[in-house]
Amino acid sequence: MSAPRTAPTLLGSAARILDLSLGQMLWSRRSIFLGLLLGGPVLLAIALRVVDTLYRSGFQINGARAGGAAIFGMMIWLLYIRFIVPVLGVFYGTSLIADEVDDKTITYLFTRPIPRSAVLLGKYLAYVVCTTLLVLPSVMLVFFLVVSTGGGSVAAAFPSLLRDFAMLAIGLAAYGAVFALVGTRIKRPLIVGLVFAFGWEPAVLLFPGYLKRLTVAYYMQALVTHEMPQDSAVSLLMQVFREVPSVATSLLALAVITGVTLWLAGRAVEHKEYVLEQ
Amino acid sequence: MPIHDQGYRRYGGSKAPLGQGWTVIARAGIRSMFAKRAFLGLLLLAWFPFFVRAVQFYAAANLPQAAMLAPSADTFRQFLDQQATFVFFVTVYVGAGLIANDRRANALQIYLSKPLTRVEYVFGKLAILATFLLLVTWVPAIVLLVVQMSFAGNFTFLRNNLFLFPAITVFTFVEVLLVAMTMLALSSLSNSSRYVGILYAGVIFFSSAIYGVLYAVTRSTQFSWISFPANLEQIGNVIFRQPLRYETPWPVSLFMIVLGIALSGVILERRVRGVEVVA
Repeated sequence: MSAPRTAPTLLGSAARILDLSLGQMLWSRRSIFLGLLLGGPVLLAIALRVVDTLYRSGFQINGARAGGAAIFGMMIWLLYIRFIVPVLGVFYGTSLIADEVDDKTITYLFTRPIPRSAVLLGKYLAYVVCTTLLVLPSVMLVFFLVVSTGGGSVAAAFPSLLRDFAMLAIGLAAYGAVFALVGTRIKRPLIVGLVFAFGWEPAVLLFPGYLKRLTVAYYMQALVTHEMPQDSAVSLLMQVFREVPSVATSLLALAVITGVTLWLAGRAVEHKEYVLEQ
Repeated sequence: MPIHDQGYRRYGGSKAPLGQGWTVIARAGIRSMFAKRAFLGLLLLAWFPFFVRAVQFYAAANLPQAAMLAPSADTFRQFLDQQATFVFFVTVYVGAGLIANDRRANALQIYLSKPLTRVEYVFGKLAILATFLLLVTWVPAIVLLVVQMSFAGNFTFLRNNLFLFPAITVFTFVEVLLVAMTMLALSSLSNSSRYVGILYAGVIFFSSAIYGVLYAVTRSTQFSWISFPANLEQIGNVIFRQPLRYETPWPVSLFMIVLGIALSGVILERRVRGVEVVA
């Protein structure tokens, strides 16, 4: 007589889904987009390095020679924090479940003897692993290409690179969880995601008051060690109204955002009936 | 449903004249978008700046204390600048699935098996997006011009700024053509409208972010040609006879716009094809 089968645990099931989804995420056509997105800053860093090597005067900001660490800080702000991290969150977060619904393959996952929320959790973990593994090398390449320009010291700036790694990984996790919730609850998640990432967040950060606490960017900014660049009037305004919470508060807030939104997304997946279009 | 009669029956309807097939696609697409309540909400929101400007014009025309709010050519330029946000969201909402959804459903072959050429198909899809984009750019700007005249009770502003009507028309049509062609080209590259939407956001925001870095490093605006929105802003200022915003010569910005449209045309030519049956 065989022993009775026990139901798989949430984490065990999520690990199986993670294993399944990671390969799909890494070897899909959308990886081309990811490659272009993450290759852009590297190409820019190569161009900056070439120009710096060819012209001895290097880059000048307000008459003074710009250091490599300062340029790297600008790239982290303008490319990674303001664009790449939110856009990856929107792209992957909203499609965790929506893609399976569109492809009409959600049934195959939901008929397995595992909790439905494990499907979401596994896919979310795959997203975090996949994007973190791809974003961090891109940042590292940019760091080594740019920091040594303008007489900058790689060794002196290296601790800040580790902090940037941690900050970007936390940002990817938080944005991914928020947009996973959007993807599971809303019919047109992309529009809502884009409005949140590129409409609500930049707009609210410009105003004084408490509204900015309803963004992920507000808490992420506190983790950035680089000086905010003044590339436009909007950036100047942001700097004027910038109030930075402490690192501990930011970490706690980002953990709460990630935990709560993931839990809500899991609940939505458990209870929602997905109607597949014929 | 079982097919009981497999006999042939000749088509009894009237034949649409050649070259008008695109109107069917455009009409159906526009009607289906108007049926979506969320989209109507977005359109209504896109007209909000128009109402704010109308109040501004009313105050300027009727209250001496508000004379500083009097409109100028730059007011219309700024209005179209503000509409760029709505242009982005309308483009993603309407345009992302225009060709991608047909590719996903394998409907492209069905379309092209009808008396409809590829050019007509693309033009029909372009007309859907262009209609809604003009509805949030050209239409409110022109109505604003009429509102200004009616509140002022004279034609003085229009007489002094006679170039405004052609300027609004030329700029909005250039903007709409570039945006719609880019979105259609991206839509033809994938089967997923979500992927297309993100690609479009990438084109807009990533090009601006790259320019932002170059500006922050060099403190020069001569690399603005890299940014998709900056090229439109530069050409907009030329058309509205305003001082240029960037150091990039405007013909370079114009070249980038033309290049964008041409590249989109090439992509559409390659991607929008029926099935070739090789004997």
